[in-house]
Amino acid sequence: MKIEDHETLTTFSPGTKRTKRGTFSLKLTSMIDMFTILLVFLLKSYSAEGQIMSITKDLRLPESTSQMQPKVTSIVAITQEWIIVDGRPIVKIEDIMASENMLIKSLESELSKIRSISEGIGEISDDMQGFKGNITIQGNRDITFDLLKKIMLTCGSTGYNNMLLAVSQIE
Amino acid sequence: MNIKNSMGRRLKGHAEETELNLTAVMNIFLILIPFLLLTAVFVRIAVLELSLPSLDSAGRSAQVKKQKTTIINILVINDTGFELKSPDIKLSNLNKKQTEYDWEGLKQQLTTIKGKYPESEDIIISPVSTIQYHTIISVMDRCRESGFPNISISG
Repeated sequence: MKIEDHETLTTFSPGTKRTKRGTFSLKLTSMIDMFTILLVFLLKSYSAEGQIMSITKDLRLPESTSQMQPKVTSIVAITQEWIIVDGRPIVKIEDIMASENMLIKSLESELSKIRSISEGIGEISDDMQGFKGNITIQGNRDITFDLLKKIMLTCGSTGYNNMLLAVSQIE
Repeated sequence: MNIKNSMGRRLKGHAEETELNLTAVMNIFLILIPFLLLTAVFVRIAVLELSLPSLDSAGRSAQVKKQKTTIINILVINDTGFELKSPDIKLSNLNKKQTEYDWEGLKQQLTTIKGKYPESEDIIISPVSTIQYHTIISVMDRCRESGFPNISISG
């Protein structure tokens, strides 16, 4: 009877021997599993080139299957409240919606300022940096075509004819 | 003591209990994971290119008159659905199914046009003013996938 007791003890606790010696072994198997999965996931989302563009917090871009990479241009962001050009808030959406005018005056003056700066840079250095007429539009996914049309018209009238619509990429 | 030893040997069979030395692996993990977390990109941003129809309408219309062979398709998006227009093809209006647009129908009609005019690549999307931006983007995606890469938007 005594022997049997001893037997069960050894069978179910293989670590007893080690504990007696003063060392113990951690059960690392599940942790390694977790790390491996995490590592594979992170390697998958690893991107070496980095992001050219960042988006502001209250902006939800629409999804698209487009594969085209963003270019370095000036950015017009249309958030829920403001029109933001290169990080500077320009005009409130409400004001645009209220006015009947198709052209947004304050946006137009800001864009022509940016245009003259980039044309100036183009004259000084090589034609790499000059004015190309590219502009990126980051629109919130819920804005209406009405607003988009006004912004596109304003961009077009200042000479920015190639519009790049920023979208969040889905597989 | 004797019993225990013999028991142990019997249970473990021929192979002695081996313990992997995981310290090095753990070290690699601990270095790699923070590094990859820092460089990971969770929201990938892409762009859709769009060229406005140029504003000087006089020059434009003259150009259009010259190249009469170009087939231009027009896709109207309104609150009730799509209306696709193509020269010489009768296409029915695609009405919304409850709240969803009829994406399948749109794809079929675009394929029909592509079948009739294989070299046609131009499409003009003309949404009414209440259409939401993401709908326009989805329509542009569908057009691109169906083989109409030259997309213009007209108000």
